[in-house]
Parts: sequence; C-alpha cells; structure tokens
Amino acid sequence: MSAIALEEARAPRRRPAWLAMLSSRDGRFGFSLIIAMLALIVLGPFLAPYAPTEIRLAPANQGPSVRHWLGTDHLGRDVLSRFLWGGRSIISIPIIAISITYATGGLLSLVTSYKGGWFDLVVARIFEFLMSLPSLLKILLLVAAFGPSTSVLIIAIAISNMPGSSRVVRGAVLSQAGVDYVQAAQARGESALSVVIFEILPNILGPIAADFSLRITWGIISLSTLSFLGLGVQPPQPDWGLMIQEGRSSLQQAPLVAIVPAIGIACLSVGFNLAADAIVRHLGDGQAEGSR
Amino acid sequence: MPGGLAQSVDAAAPHAAGRLEIKGLGVRYPGMREGVFAIWDVSLTLEPGTIVGLAGESGCGKSTTAKAAIGFCQGNEAISGASLLGETDLLALPPSDRRRLWGNRVSYVSQSASLALNPSLTVGRQLAQPLRRHLGLKGAALARRQIELFELVQIPNPKEALKRYPFQFSGGQQQRVALAIALCCKPDVLILDEPTTGLDVTTQARISAVLRRIVDETRIAVLYVSHDLALLGNLSDRLAIMYAGQIVEEGPTAAVVRSPRHPYTKILLGLSPRLDDPRLVSGIPGIPPPGVVLAQCAFSPRCPYAESACRVTRLALERIDADRTVRCMRAEELKSTAPVPVTMSKASTVGNKSLLIVDQLELTYRRATTKSVDKVSFRLREGERLGIVGESGSGKSSILKMIVGLVEPTEGYMRLGNVRLDGLAVDRPKALCRDIQLIFQNPDASLNPRHTIRQILTRPLIAFRHELPARDREVVIRDGLERVRLPASVIDRMPGDLSGGQRQRVAIARAFLAQPRLLLCDEVTSALDVSVQATVLQMIAELSAESGVAVILVSHDLALVRTMADRTIVMREGRIVEQQDSAALFVDPQSDYTRELIAAIPKLHAA
Repeated sequence: MSAIALEEARAPRRRPAWLAMLSSRDGRFGFSLIIAMLALIVLGPFLAPYAPTEIRLAPANQGPSVRHWLGTDHLGRDVLSRFLWGGRSIISIPIIAISITYATGGLLSLVTSYKGGWFDLVVARIFEFLMSLPSLLKILLLVAAFGPSTSVLIIAIAISNMPGSSRVVRGAVLSQAGVDYVQAAQARGESALSVVIFEILPNILGPIAADFSLRITWGIISLSTLSFLGLGVQPPQPDWGLMIQEGRSSLQQAPLVAIVPAIGIACLSVGFNLAADAIVRHLGDGQAEGSR
Repeated sequence: MPGGLAQSVDAAAPHAAGRLEIKGLGVRYPGMREGVFAIWDVSLTLEPGTIVGLAGESGCGKSTTAKAAIGFCQGNEAISGASLLGETDLLALPPSDRRRLWGNRVSYVSQSASLALNPSLTVGRQLAQPLRRHLGLKGAALARRQIELFELVQIPNPKEALKRYPFQFSGGQQQRVALAIALCCKPDVLILDEPTTGLDVTTQARISAVLRRIVDETRIAVLYVSHDLALLGNLSDRLAIMYAGQIVEEGPTAAVVRSPRHPYTKILLGLSPRLDDPRLVSGIPGIPPPGVVLAQCAFSPRCPYAESACRVTRLALERIDADRTVRCMRAEELKSTAPVPVTMSKASTVGNKSLLIVDQLELTYRRATTKSVDKVSFRLREGERLGIVGESGSGKSSILKMIVGLVEPTEGYMRLGNVRLDGLAVDRPKALCRDIQLIFQNPDASLNPRHTIRQILTRPLIAFRHELPARDREVVIRDGLERVRLPASVIDRMPGDLSGGQRQRVAIARAFLAQPRLLLCDEVTSALDVSVQATVLQMIAELSAESGVAVILVSHDLALVRTMADRTIVMREGRIVEQQDSAALFVDPQSDYTRELIAAIPKLHAA
C-alpha cells in the first residue's frame, strides 16, 4: 500500500466566474456599459440642473445653448434634466419584473420539471398556451384592463416573460436530471427540493443568468414601447420612452429631444446583451471544464 | 461473397505497396510554453500488411501522434518532422492536396463510430460519398462495391443493411461500418484511434478478427492506437509504447511482450488484470508529466529502477537488437529483471449471515417490450464480494439501481438484513439509504462539477451522520480523504481540477463516509487508465475489508472481477446464466456463454 504515492492536484485554482467573464473584450465592454449607465441613472438626478417637470424654462423646442446643453422640448422643459431623471423607471421596472418572473415562474418550473408527473404537465401546458400569445399583446391586455400604474407595468412584464423563462429553466433542469451526480443524491434519499437547490441549481446558473440578462433588455424595450404608445409611464413624469414619443412631433425642430433618450435605451440594451453573451460563454465553459 | 471479396483484393493490389514512414514527429499546441511539446521525436514505420500497435496511458500523446502522422490538425497546433507516404511528405503538402489523399490513400477511424457517422443519412449514402468523390463510381458499379465492402467487414445481409441508419446498428456494427467507409477507396494506410474502446470483449474480438483478415488480404498498413496492452499484444505485429509524448520502447510485439526492456513496459504488462493470475495488482505511483520531458528520463520519478543518473541525462532511443529500440539507460542491466507487479492479497472476511437477499427480481422499463432483468435471485453474505459480469445491456447495472432505489422493480422481492427494500430511495428510511452506497462508473458525472470536494463529502454527513456535530465534520472529511490517500489540499478544489483517478477516489471516500454495510460498484474502473484502475480497485478492496463491508462489483471485465470477487454471477439478456465461486468459474465454466466470454478475452501470456 505504500506504493500509492500522494498525487499533487494538477490544475491551478480556477479563476472565479466573474473574473473570467471580464476576460473577453465584449464582456468588458458590456459590463462597463451597464455600470456607466447605472451610474448615470443613479447619480443623474443629483446632477440635473433643473427640475425635470418644470415647464417654460425657456422657449419651446430650442437647440443646445449654454443654459440648456441639450436644448428644450415642446413645453420648454430642460432636455438634459429630463434625460438624467428619465432612466430610473426604465431600468428599475424591468429588473424588478424579471426578478419576480424568476422568483415565481422560474422556481416553479425548476421544481416541477425535475419532479415530472401530472402537475408538471399542467404547468408546462399553461406556459405553452401563454407562449402562443405575442408578448406585447399580453402586456397591452393587462395594462388596458388594469390601467397603466407602475405596479401593473411590473406585473404585466413579469407575466409576459414567464413562459419563456420557464422553458429555459425546464431545458436546463432536464439536461442535468439524468446525470450521475443527481442520481447519487437521489440514492442518498434526498428530497426533490434539496436535489434541485443544492445539486442542480449551481450547474444551470449559467443559462439562467444569461436569460435573466437578456430578458432585462426585452423588458427595457417593451417598457419603452408601452411609454411610446402612451400606456407606460405617464406624463409629466420624465421617462426615456415617453420622451421619444413627445419628441417625435418636433423631430425636425429639436431632434435631440428624441435622439438622446433613444441612445440611452440603446446603450442599456447593448450592455445587457453583451453581458448575456459573456455569461453564456464563460459559465458554459466552466461547465465543460468541470465535467472534463 | 467469396467472389466479390477476391475481386476487391485483386483490385487493391496495384497501389497497396505504400508504406508510411513517420520521422521525428513533434507537435506543439498553441498556448504551450516555449520549448514544451505534446509529442517529440516520434518515429514509426508502417509496413504494408502489418499492424503497428501504439500503447500508453491516456494523455501520453498517442492520439496526437495518430492525427499528426497524417497531417490532421484540429486547431492550429504546430507539427514538425516528416511523414512519408512513398515519396510524398504528407506534412509538406498544401492542405488541399493533403485532403485529396485523406479517405483515399490514407484513412482514419476514430474511437466513437456512433459520433463519426452522420445520424441522419443511411450508411449506404455515407459509404457512397467517398466512392463517388475519389473513385468516380456510379450506378451498378457503386452498388457492387458497397456490398463488397460490407461483406469485407462482415456486416450480415449487406443489401438491406445499406438502407439502414447508423442508430439501427449495434455499437460493434457501427464501428465496422466506419471501418468499411475507411477502407472504401483501398487506402494504403489505415489509422485506428482506440476503435474498440468501450465495446464488449466479444465484440472487440470480432472486430480484431475482421481487421486481421483485411490486413492479410489487402496488404494495408495499419497504425492501431489503444490503451489496451493485452489487445495489442495479440493483434499487432509491432508494438510501440509511448510515455509522456515519446516512444520509450518499440519492437516486434512478441519480443516486447515476452521480454520487455523498459521499466514502464514491464510495469504496464504486469498491471493488466489477468485471468490466469487472480492477484490484485497495485498501480504505478505518481502521475505522468503533462508534456514531453527532454532534460531527463521522463519516467524516472515513477520508476522503481531509477538511479540519480536517470534524472540528469537526456535520453535517446537506443537500438538494443536488430529491430528493437528502447529509451532507457539501464535497459541492458535490467534485461533479466522479470515483470513483477506489486501485488497484495485480496483477503475478504466472509461472514455466515446473509446480508442481502434478492428473489425473483424483474424489471421492464416503460415502453420496453423485453425484460431488462428477468427472474434474478441471489444471496449475499456479510462481508462477501460478489461480481456480476455480462455484456452491456445484460441488465447488470439495472440490478444495482433497483437495490439502491433509483429504479423500482416491476416484480420481485429484496431484503437487506431484516428490512424489506421497497420503492425508491426517497421513500425509504434514511438508515436504509445509508446502509447501501453506490459508486458510479464515471466520476466526471457522479461528482457535482460545481461543488468543492468539501461540499461533496459533506453531503453524506448531513444526510446520514446525524450523531456527528457540525464542527467535527471537517475532521471526519479530512480523515476520509486521507484514507483514500488524497492530500488535504484538494479539499477546496472542484472535481474538474483533479485527475480521473483522483476523482474516483473522492467518490470512494464519499461512499465510505456514510459507513455503509453494502457497497455497490458499477463499472468503477472502466473510465480510468490501467495504471489507475489497479489503485482504485485496491482501495475498494482494502477499505471494504477493513470495515467488513459487502461489495457487489459490476463489470464487463472478467479478469477484473476475478481479482476482486469471491463469487461471480454471469448475466446475459437480463437472466443469470451462471453463478459460481470465482475460482471455479474461471477454471471450469459450466455454460457455453461463460466459456465464450472467457475465450474472447485477449490473453497476454498465452501459454
């Protein structure tokens, strides 16, 4: 028995996942973009030179000037101040909504798709039915029925994302359910919930995190669409989607009123999209590495 | 069939004179440090009508050699040296010219035919592709050649078989289809990369026989890469042993097997479990270096015969006989040293009380038409070691799954001690789950890739050892690691950071931390290298003897079962064919099937 020598563990300690994600150029770019936009949105209100809802500060639809760097809109409000205030709702509503999606629908399909049986069939069919309706239609129906308040918007976006997210979770769980480490836990007599939470969840965080990030992008876009249609954030609140709608009529006289918030929305979407790519790439890699 | 075969042989004759001469082959992967190579200075000559075997542990560079020899790059690895097919250097050719030779004059068959064959095309179409492209065959001539090829690799009923899809063939047949595709343009050189790994012994024997006949008839030159020394010892004409990216010994197979000169060869030959000598052998200590070592003998850190000079001298392949070379400075002195494996007794202490009773057990999977397990009954005494052998699909793993409670039997009765084993593990009392522990075939899959070793080993403690206060768990885990001889430093690592053997030892530690009464081992060594297999088996034998645990060992490898088990059950198609004491079974098998199985095992030291 002395013949068996101690072997040294071969590989160096692996890099933490978040560091690995920053190793690619677009990953770095995506996360920096998100951080920059978040900083702008959080600090913006403190930097805004004027109150965002104060009208007739200057003549309407003016171009950039020393007093109003980005000019004024059709009511003579300062565009810069409205821009700096207007990112709050567009970022917070989707994040809260998607978190709710995952805390309810995601968790539900996590457990049901592992357990299987008739309950799983019912849940899967309900989500499939919801999936057959266009996502914007679902949101519009809910908002039209309950009115465009912030909580309705959050719930509407949360519900419209549930079928898709549950499908991602379901696929990920099913890919792991037959693997031996899950069977090892089953052989220990562990309950379904503890198998799902302790064994499976750490292995499917990659696809879930990526889907989460992508859904925030879609949430941002659908919220701006709603605001643009007049069903989202209501005037006179400053909001990027709403600003585009308001600036649309005076696009020729004061183009910045619509263009600046549009750029803001684009930056957020691109940031979350690139981040999702980086997450998929690196958490995906980690899984392959782990099972080598 | 004979007519068609003769014709194909005749037609092959014109350009079957090609030999492949590999000279000073070296490969570097991108990202390797300056001056580090995956393989270095590999030279081999493949003569027409001979099979050259290339053997070694996984990671030693044998597959890299096989691919580089025909100039096949997967990434942008740098290949140096030359590979002469007749007068043409394959490595100097522009990629487009090289591609024209692949599948035409040089063919390659990879390990998993099931992956190499396109699942959505019939095998006939896949076979037709190269025939059309390289030989320009059409219509009746094409069909005739297709049937000829299937006859050559002995696929029954070739005409019908051509219309089938790959999944409609068994694993062994798939591999023969891949072989037929490789042979279709009558190549001069055939490279086989672990072509029978993962197949049953009987299937393997069948493929080897087909290959031998093809080589004799078509005078093709073959490079056969495998980790299975016993297989190559029987099949190949010349044998090359590779270690750390370099050939350490090369010569005529019979001579190398009879009187190995390199210590590594000696030890490897001693390691293969043997039917005629049921001793438990121990592994080679240490692990091989990841790349080529030039400054010293690469094997010296693990070599029992190493001297200080071995660790400072740069070694070359020395010619020791007319046609044998070896890379060892003590080869001449060690000439007479016999290949003596380090062995230990397998002492198990069998009690008199029965521990497990299995009675008329049956299992039919849902939507299946046949029974996976059919009326299986056996008894296991306390501390006894029982082996269950059979080909894949014989139902041996299903039995373990039912005992441990992963699958519910359709019929039958099982009892552990005085407690009836019912239903799934979730519904059984915890104490019962604790008593039965299962070690899986593949530690890559059975250890959660996202957990640290500490987390993995804590799970059984949380589940079963309630008497143990949480603060003492760390001590128990470290003790568990020590018992499987892993350094405590692995405790914060992930399974992906460990080698296959180390991972399997973590799995063993996990099983023993539950303090079971019955240990189930499902093909625990088949995913591991020969040098590590022995270590893992020895560990299971030792730990189970220490704690008086009964073991059921499921394997397709008869020799391995013989080294471990007191009693052996042979299974086929869900039924028990034979049940006997291991010693008696191998000397005097009662059933034809057992005799067939024993005969199919490649024997290294055939008397």
